[in-house]
Amino acid sequence: MVGFSLAIFFFLMLAQPGFEAFANDIRHRTQNREIVSAKTTASARTQAARNTGRGAQLALKVQPSKLVLAGPMDMRRLLVSAQLADGSQVDVSRSATLTALDDRIRIDADGFVSGLKEGESRIRIDERGAQVEVPVTVLPAASSKVSFVRDVMPIVNKAGCTSGTCHGAAKGKNGFKLSLRGYDPQFDYEMFVHDVSGRRINRVDPSHSLMLAKPTMQVPHGGGLRFDLDSRYYGTLLNWISQGTPYGDPVAAQVKRIEVLPGEILMPRPGLVQQMQVTAHYGDGSSRDVTREASYTSSVPTVAEVSQDGHLKTLRRGEAALLVRYEGRFLPVAITVLEGRPGFRWTQLPQHNYIDRHADAKLRKVEILPSEIAGDAEFLRRVYLDLIGIPPTPQEARAFLTEPGEPRLKRSRWIDKLMARPEFVDHWTVKWGDLLQNTRKFVGDKGVWQYREWIRKSLAENKPHDQWVREVLTAQGSTFENPAANFFRIARNPKVAMETTTQVFLGIRMVCAQCHDHPFEQWTQNQYFQMAAFFSAIGVKEGADSQEEIVYLKRNEEERDIKHPKSGNVVAAKYLFGDNTKEASQEGDRRDRLVRWLTSKNNPYFAKAVANRIWSYFFGRGIIDPVDDIRAGNPPSNEPLLAALTKDFTDHNFDLQHLIRTIVNSRTYQLTYRTNEWNRADEINFSHALPRRLPAETLFDAISVATGSVLKFKEVPLNFRAQQFPDPTVGMGGFLDLFGRPQRDSACECERRSDVSLSQALNLINGATVSDAIADPEGRIAQWVIAKLPDKKLVEELYLAALSRAPESNEYELGLNYLAQSPNRAERAQDLMWALLNSNAFLFNR
Amino acid sequence: MLSIPGANVRCCDGPTRREFLRVGGATLFGLSLPHFLSWKALASANTVNGVQRGKPFGNAKSVVLLFLQGGPSHLDIWDPKPNAPSNIRGEFKPIKTKVDGIQVSETMPLLANQMDKITLIRSLSYTPAGLFNHTAAIYQMMTGYPPDKVSPSGQLEPPSPRDFPHMGSHVAKMKPPHEAMLPFVEMPRPLQESSVIGKGGAAGFLGKAYDPYRLYQDPNKTVKTEDLTLRADVPPSRLKDRFNLLKGINGSMPDLEKSVSSFALNEYYEKAYDLVLSGKARDAFNLEKEPVATRDRYGRTTFGQGALLARRLIEAGTRFVQLNWPAVANGNPEVDAWDTHAANFGPLKNLHCPILDKALSALIEDLDQRGLFENTLLVAVGEFGRSPRLGVSTSGNSNAPDGRDHWPYCYTGVVAGAGVKRGTLYGKSDDTGSSPLEDPVHPTDLVATIYYALGIDPAMEVLNDLNQPRELVKGNPLLKLFA
Repeated sequence: MVGFSLAIFFFLMLAQPGFEAFANDIRHRTQNREIVSAKTTASARTQAARNTGRGAQLALKVQPSKLVLAGPMDMRRLLVSAQLADGSQVDVSRSATLTALDDRIRIDADGFVSGLKEGESRIRIDERGAQVEVPVTVLPAASSKVSFVRDVMPIVNKAGCTSGTCHGAAKGKNGFKLSLRGYDPQFDYEMFVHDVSGRRINRVDPSHSLMLAKPTMQVPHGGGLRFDLDSRYYGTLLNWISQGTPYGDPVAAQVKRIEVLPGEILMPRPGLVQQMQVTAHYGDGSSRDVTREASYTSSVPTVAEVSQDGHLKTLRRGEAALLVRYEGRFLPVAITVLEGRPGFRWTQLPQHNYIDRHADAKLRKVEILPSEIAGDAEFLRRVYLDLIGIPPTPQEARAFLTEPGEPRLKRSRWIDKLMARPEFVDHWTVKWGDLLQNTRKFVGDKGVWQYREWIRKSLAENKPHDQWVREVLTAQGSTFENPAANFFRIARNPKVAMETTTQVFLGIRMVCAQCHDHPFEQWTQNQYFQMAAFFSAIGVKEGADSQEEIVYLKRNEEERDIKHPKSGNVVAAKYLFGDNTKEASQEGDRRDRLVRWLTSKNNPYFAKAVANRIWSYFFGRGIIDPVDDIRAGNPPSNEPLLAALTKDFTDHNFDLQHLIRTIVNSRTYQLTYRTNEWNRADEINFSHALPRRLPAETLFDAISVATGSVLKFKEVPLNFRAQQFPDPTVGMGGFLDLFGRPQRDSACECERRSDVSLSQALNLINGATVSDAIADPEGRIAQWVIAKLPDKKLVEELYLAALSRAPESNEYELGLNYLAQSPNRAERAQDLMWALLNSNAFLFNR
Repeated sequence: MLSIPGANVRCCDGPTRREFLRVGGATLFGLSLPHFLSWKALASANTVNGVQRGKPFGNAKSVVLLFLQGGPSHLDIWDPKPNAPSNIRGEFKPIKTKVDGIQVSETMPLLANQMDKITLIRSLSYTPAGLFNHTAAIYQMMTGYPPDKVSPSGQLEPPSPRDFPHMGSHVAKMKPPHEAMLPFVEMPRPLQESSVIGKGGAAGFLGKAYDPYRLYQDPNKTVKTEDLTLRADVPPSRLKDRFNLLKGINGSMPDLEKSVSSFALNEYYEKAYDLVLSGKARDAFNLEKEPVATRDRYGRTTFGQGALLARRLIEAGTRFVQLNWPAVANGNPEVDAWDTHAANFGPLKNLHCPILDKALSALIEDLDQRGLFENTLLVAVGEFGRSPRLGVSTSGNSNAPDGRDHWPYCYTGVVAGAGVKRGTLYGKSDDTGSSPLEDPVHPTDLVATIYYALGIDPAMEVLNDLNQPRELVKGNPLLKLFA
């Protein structure tokens, strides 16, 4: 009963905040008595379950159904699930009692089984009265050799030694550097074994090795205690040093892939748990259970949290992804947590196109009811802001709201009208100008206008996306004659050109891989340089004009190639993925090959990346979000929707306008922001519109539209709207920057900010932009006052100008009362406009 | 802890240090435990306890940083070397201070009289990577990180939204003032090296919302605060009317109000409203409210009145005030930065030091008398010191025989308040002021100390623009600095 009382003590300690450490300590000390304690506590629990009479018809399922263990070093865990009386399956891996039926095997407290003696054995599994047995075969130990790659690195990684804030930092820590998350085991081996004259290893007395003394705090260690003297990790490391620090076969001991069980998690309610099981498969065909050493990250910890031994706990209704990583390999596992929703009834809204079908399918699955379709006024303002970046004028709003006809067709007609307007081109020129980083800082005063004009023309012509990407990425010659070549003035070296290309056109962030293998992706440092090699022959030189530059292909063999920073060897251009066997030639303009591969309809990223990005401009978030960080650990919230969108875009030969038109015509886009009781908490499934703060330029222009006050900037022609500005040097440091206009310093979508701050609030309530605009003697208010507009008409005009709709009756009342309180109509009208411009309804696109 | 197979623990990527400290026994404040308890402290892990660590942590509510741009000559100001050869010791003589055994240069007589309230760190030191220009050093001092990009000319890139945030921006985000007050104020000019202006002086990847409030005016003249002052045609009563109206308009769309509540717009509007209406900030900027004698005591200079303004801002609730020694002083064009490549002695004696001496000593005395030192940390420091040997080139710049070049290997900073020991030295330089002899302090350690004093874990993780986890600063707080 020692174990039992200890367990109770342990439980009590856990219930006391601040005692975790002590409890852990206890747990640790009990591990040597683990078999006893595990059995006793679990059987006590089983007894309790029996008493309650629950789970009498419980059926247990065990994965795998039989265990094969190769010697004592091979430790594996079983996943046990129970089918309850109501038909649901729950994971009971942690609560089930595992009993070894002979002494050939050993079972740890955490359910890991290891073989002690060769032969056949069995495990009995008890859970709430149900019982099942699993056969176990213990094979002779394959080898008791400990290797660095296979055994030591996983420990070093799991113990955190190689993390970015410890020795994995770019400069290491306290004179000891390891590769980030152990992506370069060879380097790490050197560091442990040979660096500082091998001082980290004591071959005479392995237990006195610094490598062991540090993490166990036998000597002071800045990183603190990483594991104890009597731990399994310590034992393995000690063994390895005693065996002469063998590196191991780099191919045979390399992890080829990992396997994660279960492959998908669907929980009918929060509070349920799931033990994960991770198996690594090696180059030599062997496998190992690495559940203990793998690392786990939940993308939404408030939905599902996961412990570092792979125990997942669901907390609330929602969706998340679990990313499992082990030695550079990773696998995402989708998690869906549902909750009984009594009273939920699906009501089918009209479906305008395939977008709605896919959105609905997902919503039905997760039991979310979409909002109603937005009214005309709400739709109009939103579609104006999204398509042409400015709100409708009062005249336009009136025309739309009073136009008769079937609403859906009417909206469709107006969408076409808007997309044919020059402001449509202006608006999308801003977005592509951001991504291509068009600023005079990089391309000079003339260049910025030329590049802008080139982007405008491409958009006005509706150049297929693949075509204009090709024109940009293969551009050469004078930037005056071919403004697309400005791309290479901005991305002046092959590495930057490659990073921009992958981030903007594939949605892949390669920048981390320059210095180390990407920690959360498959991309390696080698691939970084192989991709950069496509751009390594590009040169930029001065042109005839001081503002002109020439983009050319270098002829000199020496200068055409890029070298790997570690090996110093020339790196051959290779695609990031796909077939690299053909077209191995490094001759000619490598960019032609790159673009063929990049813009291919078979490239799984190209169309997807832009479709997802364009989608995000209309919904405030991508189906994959952030849009320029597409990777396994960041899965789409609706895979079939994104796939359909991508396919449609590809089938229409990368027609951006078709994509945009399809999106805005969908019912999904046209839903109101008003939520119902079933979709209130949803932010990822597009069940209602998400209000977005107006982007800087749009906000500025909307103030101008509302007040009729024309802004003046000396750098641009009079009457230019903010979204027509060529680059962020116009009006620098002012209103636009305060509201998050991108500096175009990087191609990251994150440069545009849409948050709200104290300075912004100060500016809006007391700053010159709003104050001057409402008091402009040439503006709308002055005209209305001079024209002696009746009060009711004045209120109506104010609402139409600011919010693109007529006031509701209570809003009339509010406005009329306010006007009546003072004889100074001009002031009162200004106040009304001030309040409207500062209202949520104005500041947000909703 | 990681030795427990199957136990529910996190790795170094998570809040490791907090975890391992639990092993030691206590989780302090239930908040975050900085890694100040570094090696040495942990070596004697048994004696580590909350009391020992807890006291100076979070002692400061606010910080005044007097930034002496250009790199003041430590030998000629606060670390005199009378026994060094003449080409090192220079023209000035040491004088006694109020504290026995501590001397400063004769250029700082007023400061000598306040020595009993401050600590001089005489062992600031770092080895710069690559060229040691001003901007790189400033960037490191302000953000705690070395700049990652230096252009071929040795200049830094201009400020970028990818930059590391200034420590004041982090403070503004993590410790916003309770009342309606500007959290972070920088004055009277941005820091500058040729065409690169304000590098390291912004919120970088935190977003402009956390940029400092930039009062780029000469406090020695009347400070204009138009944006904090209601326009003539909008008296308070009218602003009140407007706000009532706004409430009504927002209130008529309650669904929308609910669905944008996460932006905290209403909270920001209330603060902005209070800020404009209460006049607290405006009043703080109004030096006319100070007695003439006080203003005179600080010195009627840009820097002197700036120091007084800093005190007023702190009193009004500002968390972080940075007063820059302007590269080109607004008040007196003769007094430029501390970058004395030529004519080190004349200007120091007649222009720079008298202004600094007056302002700094007045601020120390004033903060002390008003009891503000209890939770205000005062730091006065430059981006580096100056070469002990006269007329040599250490940075590639040409130097006159009576000039001193950049010297990051050893220099001095002033620290006071918020529990910092009074009347003492921290660290020690060698006989020539060339390198630290005891307790070397990296500027990032000073940054870590500032965070630490404010109750912010310097080792906490922040996500940069690429979402990579980074430590707030890779430095260790100077625990011995505190009483």
